[in-house]
Amino acid sequence: MENALTEIHAFVRVIPPFEHLSEDQLEQLLKAINICYVRAQQELPPEGEQGAKLYIVRKGALSYFQLPERVDHDHTDQEQQLLGKYGEGDLCTVFCYPEESKTIRVVCEEDCLLYSIDFALLKDIIVDLPQVKAFFQQSPAQRLSQVLDQANQNAILNSSLLNTNVSDFYHTPVATIESNATIQQAAITMTEQNFSCLVVVDAGKTAGIITDKDIRRRCVAQGLSIVAPVSEIMTRDITTLSSSQSAFDALMLMTSLNIHHLPVTHQGKLAGMVTITDLMRQEEQNAVNLTSLIHKADSIIELKKLSALLPKLQVKMAKLGASASQLGKTVSAITTAITIRLIALAEQKYGAAPVPYVWVAAGSQARQEQFAHSDQDNGLIISDQIQPEHEPWFANLATYVCDGLAQCGFVYCPGDIMATTKRWRQPQKRWRQYFNTWINTPDPKALLHCSIFFDLTAIYGDTRLLEDIRAKVLSQTKQSSLFIAHLSKNALQLKPPLGFFRDFVLIQDGKNKASLDLKHNGIAPIVDLARIYALSEGISAVNTRERLQKVAGTRAVTKASAKNLLDAFEFLSMLKMKHQAEQISQQQAPDNYLSPKSLSKLEREHLKDAFKVIKTLQESRQSVY
Amino acid sequence: MVFRQLFGLNAKRQRLLKKAPDGPLKDYLSVPFPESSTPVHHLDILSLDFETTGLNAKTDKLLSVGFIQMPELQIKLGTSFHQIITSNGALKADNVAIHQITDQEKAEGKPLAEVVETILKALAGKVMLVHYAKIEREFLKEACLKLYGMAPVIPIIDTLVIEKKRLDAKDIAYDPSQLRLANLRESYHLPGHYAHNALSDAIATAELFLAMIKQRESQHITLKHLLRS
Repeated sequence: MENALTEIHAFVRVIPPFEHLSEDQLEQLLKAINICYVRAQQELPPEGEQGAKLYIVRKGALSYFQLPERVDHDHTDQEQQLLGKYGEGDLCTVFCYPEESKTIRVVCEEDCLLYSIDFALLKDIIVDLPQVKAFFQQSPAQRLSQVLDQANQNAILNSSLLNTNVSDFYHTPVATIESNATIQQAAITMTEQNFSCLVVVDAGKTAGIITDKDIRRRCVAQGLSIVAPVSEIMTRDITTLSSSQSAFDALMLMTSLNIHHLPVTHQGKLAGMVTITDLMRQEEQNAVNLTSLIHKADSIIELKKLSALLPKLQVKMAKLGASASQLGKTVSAITTAITIRLIALAEQKYGAAPVPYVWVAAGSQARQEQFAHSDQDNGLIISDQIQPEHEPWFANLATYVCDGLAQCGFVYCPGDIMATTKRWRQPQKRWRQYFNTWINTPDPKALLHCSIFFDLTAIYGDTRLLEDIRAKVLSQTKQSSLFIAHLSKNALQLKPPLGFFRDFVLIQDGKNKASLDLKHNGIAPIVDLARIYALSEGISAVNTRERLQKVAGTRAVTKASAKNLLDAFEFLSMLKMKHQAEQISQQQAPDNYLSPKSLSKLEREHLKDAFKVIKTLQESRQSVY
Repeated sequence: MVFRQLFGLNAKRQRLLKKAPDGPLKDYLSVPFPESSTPVHHLDILSLDFETTGLNAKTDKLLSVGFIQMPELQIKLGTSFHQIITSNGALKADNVAIHQITDQEKAEGKPLAEVVETILKALAGKVMLVHYAKIEREFLKEACLKLYGMAPVIPIIDTLVIEKKRLDAKDIAYDPSQLRLANLRESYHLPGHYAHNALSDAIATAELFLAMIKQRESQHITLKHLLRS
C-alpha cells in the first residue's frame, strides 16, 4: 500500500462492514473512491453525481429527513421529520438504492468531505463476501437477526466448556451389557439404571454401543424379536474421546456426528460416558446449586450471604456467553427461591396463614427478565374469607418478607408497589375491582402506574387466587379497545433514539444526549408492545419473549414483526447484560446507562437497527389507535 | 491582464512546441491548455507534489513525486501516483527524517527521465495544482532543461497564493505560518494528514483546493481567476 494512502486505508478499513475485506479488496475499494466536498446546507448527491453511490463521511455531518410520500397541502408547513444524523466514519447508503433515495432527503449539516464510491463497483469488489454483501442488501431487521445468529454461535465458542476437561462430566462407571444379552435385557437395564445408553462388552472388551434410539429404530420399528442379542442392533464403530480432551471437544464431536452419547477412554481403556445433556446442564449447574442452598437456609443472614452471589452469577453467566433470556430466567428463579424461603421463615415465626393467600411478584421478576438486584415489586392477594383480625398476620408477613428482600439487596420499590402497602395487600375481590376500574374506565395517568400489574406471577401460596383474576382480566382486555388504546398511547411515549451522532445519542428532536438509557429507550418499549399485544389477544404469558412468540401471526402483530422485535429485545438485553457484568466486575452498581464511547462501531450499527425495528412497530401501533 | 497572461501561456506553448525536440516534452506541449474561461467545476486538474533534498532546484535533488487527478472537482483515488527517484548520492540524514525515505527505498526508485515523462504525460492538457508552486515549478524546469534542453510552460494554480490573496485583501496582519498546508487545512476544518509524503501532500492540497473553492461562489469562478500571476 502506498504510504500516502495509509491514512485513507486506516480510516476505511475499520468501518463496518469493510473490516471483512482482504488487503487486495480494500485496495480496490480505495481506488474506487472519489473525494468530493459538499458545503453545509447542500443536499446529496452533489452536483454532477449520477447513478447509485455509497458515501463515506470523512469529515462533517449529514442529516436525514423523511420526505413525504406525496405532497400534502395541509401539511406543507409541517416540520420535516429528522431520521438521523451521520458523522465521521459513518456510511450513507441512501443513494445505493434508488427506491430509498426517493423517500429520504440527505442534507449536509456541516461542510462535508465525502468519499464517494460507485455502488456497482463496490458490488463487484465484495461479490465473494456474503457478510459484506448482506450488509448492503438487508433491512435493519435482517441485519439484526444475523448478528444474533452470530452471537449464539459465539455463545457456544466462548462457553466455559473450552476450559473444562471432559473428565469433569463423564459418568463412571459406565453401564455395560454383555453382547449376548437380549435386547429386552438391555432395555430393562437401561430403565433400572436410568441410562439411555449402554456400552456393549464382549469378553471384557468394548464391542459397541446401544442406545434407546437403537432399540426403537433397529428393533421395534423393524419388527425384530426382543430376545435377539444386543449385538444385532448395536453400533459397532464407536467413536470415543480421550479423557484429556476438553468438554468443548466432546460437544463439537457429538454435534458434528449428530450423536448424544460419547464413551470416554483413559489410557485407551473405557473410563466413562458423557452425554450431550450433561454438557448442556453444566451452565445451569451453578444456579441450581444456589437455589438448593437457598431452600436450606434458615435465617435471613444466610439468605443475605447467598443473595450476595447473585451479581457474581450474573457476571459469570455473561462471560460464559449465556443469552439474556437464560440469565433473566436464572436470576428470577433465584429471587423467587429467596422470596419463598423468606415466606417460609415468616410462617415459622408467625404461624400458619389464617386464610389462603398468594404472594405475587410484578414487573421484571414476574416476566422472568430480572438481572442481578433489581427493585422489588410484589403484592398479596388474600382469600375473600379474610376477617379483620387476620389482617395483622398478613401485615407481619409482608413486612418480614419485604424487609428480608431489602436486606438481600432487593431495594424497596420507590413507587411502594409492595405487599407492605395496604393497597397492594387486599382480598381477591378488591383486586378484581382494581382491574375492573383499570380496564373498564381507563384513566391514562392511572394506567401509567398500573401496567406493572398486568405482568403478575404467583410466587407462593394458592395460585388459583391469581389465576381466577387473570382469566377474568384477559377476557376483558381482549374486548376493551379503549383500554388497549390508552395503554398503547402510554407505551408510545417511550421512544427509541434516532441513532448516534459522533459520540452522542441522537434523540427524536435532533438533540444530543451523552448516554443511552437502555431500559427506557430500548427494552421497555418492547416490553410494553409485547404486553399490549398479549392483552389484546387474551394471552396469559407474561415473559416478553413468550408473549411475542405467542402473539406472532395474530391480528395484533405479524409473524415477521414479532420475530424482529424478539431479535431487537434479545440484542438490547444482551448489551445490558454485558454492560452490567462489566460494572459489577468493576465494583460499580449496575445500571442501564450506556455511553456511546463504550460501544463499538458495529454495536452502534446494530443498535440503530434495533431502534428502527421498535420505531416501525410503534408507528404501526400508533396508526391503529 | 490575466486573460492576456493565459493567452500568453498558450502562445508560449505553441512557440516552444516548434522548437521542442521530439519526445515527452513535445508531446506535452502539443496538447492545448484549458481555455481561461473554463469554469472551475469543469477544469481538469492534476494535483502534484515533490519531495526534494532542499529548496534549491539547481543544487538539490528531487526525491519523490506524487500526483492525483481531479477532474470536475472530484479527486480520483484510482489515479494516484507515487514514485521515488533514483539518485547517485546518499541521502542526508536530516532529510531522511523529514521525508521518511530510506536509501533502500530510494534504491527501488526509477530514473528521473522516466518519472518526468510520466508527469508530463499526466499533465498534458491539464492545470497543475500545487501548494507553494516554487518548488514544483523550479524542479520540473531544471529536470526538463537537463533532459530535453528546454523548460516547459505550465498553467499553475497555487493554493498558497489563493489564500494569500484572500488574506492580503482583508488588510489584516497575519502570521505567514498560517499559509502552511497543514495549518490551512486545519483552518478549513479538514482532517489531519500524513505530511511529507508526495502523494499524501498532493491529495491534501487537492482537498484544500476543494474546500477553498466550495466556500466561495464557485459557480462564477473560472480558470483565469485562479491562475498564479
